[in-house]
Amino acid sequence: MISKLPPGIKVEQKGDNDKIMTLNVGPQHPGSGHMRIIVKIDGDYIVSCDPDPGYVHRGEEKMAEYRNYITNIPHLERPVIHDSCNILYPYCLGVEEILGIEVPERAKYVRVIASELNRCVYTLYWLAIYGIFLGHSTMFMWPAGDRELLIDLLEKLSGARVTHAYFVPGGVRNDMPSNFEDVCLRQINYFEKRIKQYDSIFYSNPILKSRTINTGVLRQNDAIRLGSTGSVLRASGIDFDLRKKEPYDVYDNLDFQTNVLKSGDSYARSKIPWLDMLESCKIIRNALEKIPKSGSVRVKLKPNPKAGNVETYKRVESGRGSLGMYIISNGKPEPYRVKISVGSFRNLICLPYLLKGEKLGNMPAVYWSLNYWPVEADR
Amino acid sequence: MGTASGIIKALNSGIKHLAIKRFTLRYPEQKLKFVGDGYQFDPVSGVGIAGLKGRHMLFHDKCTGCQLCSIACEGIAEAIAMVKVDEKWKQNKKSIMPQIDYGKCVFCGLCVDACPFYALYMTNDYELSSFSKEGLIYTPAQLQVKPNIKQDAEIKISDRGATHG
Repeated sequence: MISKLPPGIKVEQKGDNDKIMTLNVGPQHPGSGHMRIIVKIDGDYIVSCDPDPGYVHRGEEKMAEYRNYITNIPHLERPVIHDSCNILYPYCLGVEEILGIEVPERAKYVRVIASELNRCVYTLYWLAIYGIFLGHSTMFMWPAGDRELLIDLLEKLSGARVTHAYFVPGGVRNDMPSNFEDVCLRQINYFEKRIKQYDSIFYSNPILKSRTINTGVLRQNDAIRLGSTGSVLRASGIDFDLRKKEPYDVYDNLDFQTNVLKSGDSYARSKIPWLDMLESCKIIRNALEKIPKSGSVRVKLKPNPKAGNVETYKRVESGRGSLGMYIISNGKPEPYRVKISVGSFRNLICLPYLLKGEKLGNMPAVYWSLNYWPVEADR
Repeated sequence: MGTASGIIKALNSGIKHLAIKRFTLRYPEQKLKFVGDGYQFDPVSGVGIAGLKGRHMLFHDKCTGCQLCSIACEGIAEAIAMVKVDEKWKQNKKSIMPQIDYGKCVFCGLCVDACPFYALYMTNDYELSSFSKEGLIYTPAQLQVKPNIKQDAEIKISDRGATHG
């Protein structure tokens, strides 16, 4: 009887009556992303869970050791192509520190605008996936459509829809086009009006609430103990946002607030990125007001710049939490080591603790609420 | 009671969308309008000019065959190869010019940044599909051609929602 089961599913006999089944969710299953989750279930309840990432490991850190500081840019943004400005941000900040470059004021504002637009693009993509895996197909279509407004802005700004390769050590690649500020303001205002409607169709929806409230609760002390970051940490009631706590570039000049929810369940974890998007709209509007009207946006670097025997660690708040890069230089044009520390991987560590005792049907609601991006976690 | 009002609220929000305009770009008939003529770079100031990073355009009268674009591409995509051309130019003693393989190119535009003689630009042409891998390799003569495409669709925002017009 047992030998006739399809491969991947097996029944483990424990004692006389206990039957625990091992189920492989992924790596091909669309509900798991590019990874496998080994789930042991007793009936409908999850006994234990073992996430198994590593299917899209590309060796970004090793590749960075063979390229100079400029040609590292296109491949370092590959882990998160939707959030490419934010993944390049700590790299650029770090290289600027070890090379001793001071970035022009206007470039700092342009960077903030680009990274906030990119954060919204990533969050909308994530929200669309979260919606479709909870069976809410409207929530797939609306963010996927509204994402076009921001992609259009980023295309005007950087010249590419995704994988912008826009940030460089020393500033940004090109200045904003002539009428960008008006177009940006108009589309951001409309975008803010649009995403406010997500509340009525998604976040106030009693069907969503019944599936996500009190599902996968991460308590405040557990969130600190497991080392979670970003929206997962803020949903558990801890006010920690690197844009506020360690402001980089011009974030200390801008007016915004961080969003904190107390409950720590899947509902709170899915709501924090949406609240952050509304906050991002305010940041962009504020940055467009305060940006210097003219000035350079890039410091010209020497070809093949070299740094001394120095090392630096810089981190920023990406769409998925803190994203840090540790860069060591040994005096050559190539960095000696680039260590990337991502929020996705740290949030994944919470998954076995959150899923224990949940129903199998609630697994997508907990798994995707962790704001996890498999490609970034594998690097 | 909360459940019923929540469902009615969601339905109401959905019904309102029946009156909103369609926000879909009908691609082959409509094409998005871009800023400028494509990504260009000013090596003197070290700052680029905003534009779409599409197919390259090579100015044969400016190219000196210095291979800087090819060197820049080495660590990225290895898409640029220097090939011999039959033309005789005063500034190009070796008569070599870049040939770009669009099966490998990632459209990062760092070759444009590398060119010190304003010889390599990027254009708004992004329709590069081909039935064979050889068809994706663009020779210097093909890169010389200025693309002629009509792109005019823009996002318009009105009271009845955004549309591509």
